[in-house]
Amino acid sequence: MNPHDDTITATRAATATTTTTASTTTGPAETVVRLEGITKRFGATTALDGASLTVRRGEVVVLLGLSGSGKSTLLRHVDGLERPTDGRVTVLGREVTALTGRALRELRSEVGFIFQQFELVPSLTVLENVLTGSLATVRGPRLGLWSYGRAARAEALARLERVGLLERAYQRADTLSGGQQQRVAIARALMQRPQVLLADEPVASLDPESSDQVMALIREIAADEGLTVICSLHQVDLALSWADRIVGLRHGRVVLDTPTEGLSKAQVMEIYGRVATSTDQFEAIELELGTSGLAGGAANVPEDLAGGAAHAPDGAVR
Amino acid sequence: MSIVTERPRTTEVVVAPVAAPPRRRVSPERVAAGLTLVALLIASVVALRSVDIDPARMLQSWSNAERFFGRVGAIEFPPLGELLQLTALTLGLVICGTLLAAVLSVPVAVLAASNTSPGPVWRAAARFVTVLARAVPDVVLAMVFVLLFSLGTLPGILAIGLHSVGMISKLFADAIEQIDEGPRTAVRAAGGTRLQQFTAGVLPQVLPSWVATVLHRNDINLRGSVILGYVGVVGLGMEMSFAFKSLDYGLGLGYAVVIFVLCVVMEIVSSSVRAVMLGTAPTGRGLGDRIVRRATRRRGAATSAAPAPEAVGRASTAATSADDATRASGTAATSADDATRASGTPAPETAAATVATMLRRPWDRARVRTTTWAAVAAAVVVASIVVCDIAWSELVTVWSGVPAVAVQFWPPSFGSYEMSTMVDAMGETVAIALAATLLTLVASIVIGSLAARNVAPSRGVRGGMRLLLVGIRGVPEVILAIVLIVVTGLGTQAGTLALALGGVGLLGKLLADSFEEVSSGPERALAATGATRLQVYAGATLPQGTRALIGHTFYMLDTNIRAATLLGIVGAGGVGYYLLNASQGSNYGTVTAIVLMILVTVLAVEGLAMWMRRVFR
Repeated sequence: MNPHDDTITATRAATATTTTTASTTTGPAETVVRLEGITKRFGATTALDGASLTVRRGEVVVLLGLSGSGKSTLLRHVDGLERPTDGRVTVLGREVTALTGRALRELRSEVGFIFQQFELVPSLTVLENVLTGSLATVRGPRLGLWSYGRAARAEALARLERVGLLERAYQRADTLSGGQQQRVAIARALMQRPQVLLADEPVASLDPESSDQVMALIREIAADEGLTVICSLHQVDLALSWADRIVGLRHGRVVLDTPTEGLSKAQVMEIYGRVATSTDQFEAIELELGTSGLAGGAANVPEDLAGGAAHAPDGAVR
Repeated sequence: MSIVTERPRTTEVVVAPVAAPPRRRVSPERVAAGLTLVALLIASVVALRSVDIDPARMLQSWSNAERFFGRVGAIEFPPLGELLQLTALTLGLVICGTLLAAVLSVPVAVLAASNTSPGPVWRAAARFVTVLARAVPDVVLAMVFVLLFSLGTLPGILAIGLHSVGMISKLFADAIEQIDEGPRTAVRAAGGTRLQQFTAGVLPQVLPSWVATVLHRNDINLRGSVILGYVGVVGLGMEMSFAFKSLDYGLGLGYAVVIFVLCVVMEIVSSSVRAVMLGTAPTGRGLGDRIVRRATRRRGAATSAAPAPEAVGRASTAATSADDATRASGTAATSADDATRASGTPAPETAAATVATMLRRPWDRARVRTTTWAAVAAAVVVASIVVCDIAWSELVTVWSGVPAVAVQFWPPSFGSYEMSTMVDAMGETVAIALAATLLTLVASIVIGSLAARNVAPSRGVRGGMRLLLVGIRGVPEVILAIVLIVVTGLGTQAGTLALALGGVGLLGKLLADSFEEVSSGPERALAATGATRLQVYAGATLPQGTRALIGHTFYMLDTNIRAATLLGIVGAGGVGYYLLNASQGSNYGTVTAIVLMILVTVLAVEGLAMWMRRVFR
């Protein structure tokens, strides 16, 4: 990690409108996001099952897990987009679960969110999409480029320049490629001047090359601006190359929380393998994470067994 | 080939004893809906017999028509100046009314849409407003407003404005419900308020569809304005009604021709505007498409807002690929150059744009185009308001007159009429609607199928059918009815045929669009097995389109019931005749009674239609 990060962070936090309790300390251990025993149920399904997580300022944490393991739901709790059925979420020193109205919007404006599907308005210009990131700082609705102030427009253009898309400012968002759209979305998030950046599968809809670009950009910006990043991914390789720390989720529980340094792909796979309780879960991991020699060999046996088991009752009926 | 056909057969022998497949479970609701469908079909056939459409007699009366047209002599037109003024007045009135409806519809739609409504109570209230506005015919509203206001455009504007809220707010709400929630969530995640979420996340997404809805409704209102003339709303319709009432048939038909041309022109203009706005220029080679395309191209050249939508699409694709090649962090300037070259605009003087230079939005084609459109739209709106010469003060003074008028409308009574006469008349109206819907359905399946790109045997056929549909849609039903009354004489026949013919324009188009929207996979699969064109149609296209067909047909029935009540006003049978009589005889209690009767019927059919569409979705 960049040694200057903490100082940058401190200045940044001090200039922010709401100062957090610990923001003045330059010590490395300030907690920015804390989730304590979060449980979230949607009807009969349990999306999160007592998940806990602590993220310190400047960390880049990658959430790893299969689809449906609760990564998105966890991220949405950090931004107050979901309310937990049980548990406590504290972000930037504020208890998110207790916030409503203006206070909640204020918190959200300090937390940037990047979506898998970019979520730009396709019919608006790139610039106006970026400008929507500043809505929390103005009062009332805005419609059209000129309803935002000149200063805001200049800032938005600067953000676009940062992500390398200044030239595209006045194009419709849907004329851009997927990777470019995600970069616009990053510019929009930066427009909020966030302290925390959440990214929900930011590269799942992109080709490998754009994926690398986008991940590099997120990492770079995080370092420059001293952002704390929580990013969900499902590719182990990407997670290993971009994260400071990997947090594995399964069925809404945190099953792995370890620094990336010195961690190998095989080890991650092994951890996944060990916690897999049933065969089909294991196979699902295989499918999703890609087959490594180690886990692949192990997976073959139960598959055959499962196949045999499936046939047997049929035969019995006949 | 023979080997291939052989093999499945042997396999079949091997696996021969297959257990019977489990029976598909059909919910009782579906059974009930199916039975209702059959019952309605039978009722329609019975209705068709009861409105006694008799081709022989029609042929006989054709000589009547000939004699009539002989007597009419040449079609006359009013002096050009007067004609232009009346046309402007009619257009202005209709546009103002539609705009009023659009403005009123926004809050109603926001409250009615499930994803923006603050709560179920608000939703129910908004839906009630929608249904009520739709159920009260604009003619009835106009009758009331003509009583309240002095002669002028206000009664027409208000009648159109209030009645159109029903359809517009419904379609607005549908559009809101169909948005991609993502951008809205993004604004929410960035800390936006509910209002900001709406303006930044919802509005830009629904705007094209909203504008299309308003344009579409404007066409409908223009056709409807004819009948408004019969109850005293100024404009071409009123002049036409005067001409016919004073037996000046030549002049009356002259007005009818003018209105018809006006409706067709508006239809073409609005459809081309919609096409340009939605970024999809019609690509067909049909005459209708060609007219639209040529119109858009010419307009583009005139305003120097050049690009046809396809050109924009191509340019942006080129831009994207060029940029992808040069990579993100690399030389963005080169890619921009490529992009501008591809789209045909001169390259910017400074290759490397900076934040400062980019602060000013360049006058590129997109900007010129949107600005031009906005200016034209604003000009049209302003011109409409000016032309209407609205007596604003009356909006305030009118309230003092309301109690006096309200008293006249209450209590409802059938006055001098027998209850049974009224119920029979209403029954006749329903019969007209049912019979007309059946006729429309049969004709529309044929014409609509042939107008669908994936069914039509050739582009020529498709183009011809599409043109036919546009032509039919352009004719106001009232004018159809008036002409048909001349041919068939007063009565239910004329009304039924007018509705049936007019309906083909709408249902045929809806069906053609639905057929074009079906998934092409099954069609290709069938074609690949060597099926004939007709087999592909019957085996893949029609089954996939059935749900849309049922839905659209019920929509048609819904519309026809409303329209059938009104056609009586021009003498085409049903309850409308009594409505006009009562209103002209100042028996307002009777008007109320008849309107309530219509309301109940319309709501019943609407409920039925909603249920059917839900079950067969």
